[in-house]
Amino acid sequence: MRLIFFDLEGEGRRHFYPIALSRPIWELRCGMTSLGEKLVAKTGINDVAGFVPEYMAAACRSRKPDRKINDLGVLKGDDLLLVNPRVKAAGFSVPTKGPSEVGLAEDGQVLYARVAKADVGKLKTDSIAGFLDSAKAGLKTVTANLPTWNYVWDLVLASPHQITDDFKAAGRTGIEGTVEQPNAIRGHKNDIYIAKGALVHPMVVLDAANGPIYIDENAEVHPFSRIEGPCYIGPKCLLLGAKCREGNSFGPVCRIGGEVEESIVQGYSNKYHDGFLGHAYVGEWVNLGALTTNSDLKNDYSNVSVMLDGKNAIDTGSTKVGSLIGDHTKTSIGTLFNTGAYVGCMALIMATGKPLPKFIPSFAWFLEGVVTKGFGKKQLYETAKIAMSRRKMAFDEAQQGLYDSIFELTKPERDEAVKKGRKQMVGK
Amino acid sequence: MESVADRVKKVTARVLKVDPKDIKPEQHFAMDLGAESVQSIELVASFEEEFGIEMDEDAALSVETVGGAIDFITKVCKEQGVKV
Repeated sequence: MRLIFFDLEGEGRRHFYPIALSRPIWELRCGMTSLGEKLVAKTGINDVAGFVPEYMAAACRSRKPDRKINDLGVLKGDDLLLVNPRVKAAGFSVPTKGPSEVGLAEDGQVLYARVAKADVGKLKTDSIAGFLDSAKAGLKTVTANLPTWNYVWDLVLASPHQITDDFKAAGRTGIEGTVEQPNAIRGHKNDIYIAKGALVHPMVVLDAANGPIYIDENAEVHPFSRIEGPCYIGPKCLLLGAKCREGNSFGPVCRIGGEVEESIVQGYSNKYHDGFLGHAYVGEWVNLGALTTNSDLKNDYSNVSVMLDGKNAIDTGSTKVGSLIGDHTKTSIGTLFNTGAYVGCMALIMATGKPLPKFIPSFAWFLEGVVTKGFGKKQLYETAKIAMSRRKMAFDEAQQGLYDSIFELTKPERDEAVKKGRKQMVGK
Repeated sequence: MESVADRVKKVTARVLKVDPKDIKPEQHFAMDLGAESVQSIELVASFEEEFGIEMDEDAALSVETVGGAIDFITKVCKEQGVKV
C-alpha cells in the first residue's frame, strides 16, 4: 500500500504560514517528529509520496530526492491511502485495509481517501485535485470526525504533550552518548535518553521530573545549561548555557542559548545569545541576534491574536502565543517582538528599541521602524547562500525558484506595508 | 511646478539633513553627502513617495550621484506615465 500526503492550495494552507510558506504542512514539527513522520508511524506504510502546491515542488524534490512529489504516477499500481497532513496522527483511526472510502470533514473537505487499486481506473488521474474530486463523487463517502491541526500555533501549544507521547513511542532510555561529570539529573533516569555521539558537558542540569528529555545524536550541551523536560534536542544541536525550560523541540543543527520555553525551532537556526523565546515557532536558517526577545503573554492575560495576512486578527484562544518566524529571517541585536507576532520568511529586522509591529511580511527590510524594500531580494539570497554554506548546504536553483515564487505570492501584503512605511518615513 | 532637480534636492536635503543650496548634481550621495546604507534606502523610499513612482531597488541603489538620481527619476517617471 502507498501512503500519499496531499497539501493543496487553499485558504487552509495560510493558517500554517509563515512556516508552511516554504515547505509542505507534513514537514512541520510537533513534539519530537514532523506531522508526516507521525502519520507514517501510525499507518505503518513506508511507501510514501506527496502532493504540494506546484511552486514548492522542485525545492521539495531537491531537498528529499528519494520522495516522489507531484508525480501523478504514484496514483496507479497499488492500493492507496491519501491523507490530508492536517489530520492528527494520534486520532487517525482509519484501517489501512478495506474497501474504497473517502472521509470528509463536516465542511466537505477530504481528510483521507482509501482507494483500492481496482477502483483507481474509475477516477481522474490528470491532477491530484481532480483525483480527489472524482473520488469524492464516485466512491463511498463517510463523515469522518477526525481531529485536525487548524493553525500553526496549535502545533506549538500541543508540542510539550506530544514530546512526552513521542518519547514513549520511541521506546529509548538511558545514556548512549557521553555525560561528563559533575552534572545533575532530576527525575527518573528512564525519562532521559542521550543518543550515541551526544555530549553533555559538566555542570549541566537535566530535569526530567515533569517530562522526558531526548538528546539526539551528536548534539552537544555546554556547561550551565538547564534542560527541563519534556524536551527534544535534535541531531547536531548545540546548547550554549541555555535556560531551556519545558516543552521545547529543536530540529537538527540548531544553536540555542538564552531562555527558551515551549517553542519549536524547525532546524538549522541560531538563537545563540541571551534573550527570551517563548511559545514561538521558528523556521529554518533563522538567525536571532543577541537579546532578541518575544512576548508570549499579554499584560492583561487576554487571549493572544495573530494576523496571518496582515489585516485580520485571529483569536488563538490561548493566553500564550509567541512569535511565528519564517525561514531565513534575521534579527538584529535587541529586537523585541510583540505577543503573537508574525514575521514572514527572508525578512531582515533592525531593532527600534520598541516592540515591532505584529505583522512583518516576507522579504521586508524592517529599518528605522518601517517596512522598506531595502536592498532587495538579491542581497537576501546572497546572505542565504553564505548562511547555508556555513552548514555545508547549498541555496541551489530550486531553492531560489521557491523563494522567487514566495516573493510573488507575498507581494500584495509587502507592497501595502512598504507604501505605509514610505508615508511614515516621509512624515517623520 | 518645481523641476525634478529641485524636488530631488529637496528630498535629499531632508533625508540627509543638509542645506539644499549646498547640493550639486555632481555630488556623490555617500562620499560627498555622507549617506549611510540605511539612509540610501530612506532616500529611495522618499523619492518614490515624492514622485508617486515605483523604482526597482537594485537599479535605484546603483545610482551614486545627485545628477544620476535626477536622470534616473526622470526616466522612471516617463516610463510610468508620471508628469514632471
